[in-house]
Amino acid sequence: MENSIVRAGKSKAPVETVMNVIFLICGLAAVVSVVLISLYMVFSGAPAIAKIGPLKFLAGQIWNPEASEFGILPLILASVMATGLAVAIAVPAALCVAVFLTHVADKRTAAALLFLIELLAGIPSVVYGLLGAILIVPLVFKAQTALGLPMSGSLLSAAIVLVIMILPTIISVSAAAINAVPKQYNEVSLALGSSKMQSIVHAIIPAAKSGIVSGVVLGVGRAIGETMAVMMVAGNAPIMPELLKPARLLTVGISMEWAYSSGLHREALYGVGLVLFAFIMVINVLLSSILKKGGAKR
Amino acid sequence: MKKALSMALLLVLAATTLAGYGVAPANGDAALRGTVKTGGSTSVERVMTALIYQFQGENQNVSVNYEMNGSGDGIKNTISGLYEIGHSSRELKTDGSENGLTATRYAIDGIALVVNKANAVNELTAEQVRGIYTGKIKNWSEVGGANALITVVTREASSGTRSAFAEIVGLEKANSPETAIVPNATTCDSTGAIQTTVSQNANAIGYMSFSDADNAKIKILGYNGVVCSEAALKDGSYTLKREFCLVTKTGAELSPAAKAFMEFVLGSDGQKIIAGNKLLPIE
Repeated sequence: MENSIVRAGKSKAPVETVMNVIFLICGLAAVVSVVLISLYMVFSGAPAIAKIGPLKFLAGQIWNPEASEFGILPLILASVMATGLAVAIAVPAALCVAVFLTHVADKRTAAALLFLIELLAGIPSVVYGLLGAILIVPLVFKAQTALGLPMSGSLLSAAIVLVIMILPTIISVSAAAINAVPKQYNEVSLALGSSKMQSIVHAIIPAAKSGIVSGVVLGVGRAIGETMAVMMVAGNAPIMPELLKPARLLTVGISMEWAYSSGLHREALYGVGLVLFAFIMVINVLLSSILKKGGAKR
Repeated sequence: MKKALSMALLLVLAATTLAGYGVAPANGDAALRGTVKTGGSTSVERVMTALIYQFQGENQNVSVNYEMNGSGDGIKNTISGLYEIGHSSRELKTDGSENGLTATRYAIDGIALVVNKANAVNELTAEQVRGIYTGKIKNWSEVGGANALITVVTREASSGTRSAFAEIVGLEKANSPETAIVPNATTCDSTGAIQTTVSQNANAIGYMSFSDADNAKIKILGYNGVVCSEAALKDGSYTLKREFCLVTKTGAELSPAAKAFMEFVLGSDGQKIIAGNKLLPIE
């Protein structure tokens, strides 16, 4: 018996080495791609920002490439506002759904609902855009008319579409995190005399915090990077964002003008890409550091 | 046995391959072969795809590439020599940046002013269009329509349609509120997106290529008292229009295939296809 294991180990040694190398190459490929993308973004985006002037580029309020005005502050603010609004609405709602799925609904209902929610996550963004253009935009038209504004796509419509798009991600990650909380937490809390809801709010959700935060990170990432669906409902005018007026997000700014751009205009679009890239990096680092802190507390 | 079989297969393969070379195209010049690299404007996509399809059908040894990346890139890449022929839906710039090129017109495209089908307005003057796009006219009632705020819809910066429209109507690119397109105009990145946006918004006005405007979805307005039609384009009474051009290097010798393609586009067969696409042929 012992002999056979040793023999097997010997004969498997080359296989082990080969597999090690293969895994190493795969791992390196991922790392190298990230490094290459970062370098590419910096090298293609930075020259334009330097040419235009970092302050003029980042804090300029007018985007008019035809008159060589490349201020992207309206685009940055529109992205931040749309994402912030979407997350502010989606997170509480998603948390409630996650609690319902894990602690309120019976198992069969929960399984059916979870299946549907995961299906929602797989719907292509252009479909969300279509639904937004047909269902949400006309609703916003009514609000705009009532307030004496011209009817148009708006930041609000974009935020609502984003809410629907990021809900499934946040729900399924949060539900998994809540499910992973040891049963004892709930049992001890109930034994100490708290009601079911008290136990959920004060014992289970705090214990699942880091998982919920990672769901939020994923949601923010999806919201800030979304292009197609937003372009179909946002109106896309590069003006300082207001809730019921058209707004152009960073992603839309790039994809919309890419085809016809040339010269400094195209370089400036690379610059917008660099800003978007930096944004996502910062959000990832910030939120994951919050996440780690939460983990350490536990 | 196996060897004999594979040998036989090889022979059959060789025979069919060779036979392929022997077959001459139904009509056109069999001696004409090669690849013509072209690219540029996306506005000419529909008619150009039809022209290339027909031309390649007649000359089966020639392939015409068409990269759709906008008039700007089409002209730039023709200067650099990447394309033999560039597609442009605007005229060449006269500021010196596009010197050394020849633009050959092959079709005229109307720019249609479009509004929602529910809109009561039927026509606008150039002055009114300028007023609407600069934001001086804000309500449809000021131009004879219902009491509703106007939603201005425009194309993205540096689109060929946008620059042609702005130039004819008298809108400037500079950032003055007097003459520039209002910055809060809803912006669309394609002809199709303009049509969809206008068809879904009762108070919207937009502009798009006449050859793509679909009467079933939107309403085409008259401009300066003339309704856009093939006849009005032909007699010159409809002034909101632009030209489609093939751009080549001045004085450069084109390859025989490229030359044949240009002759085809400008010849009667090509012009027939152009007329069939709601464009006005150059005669």
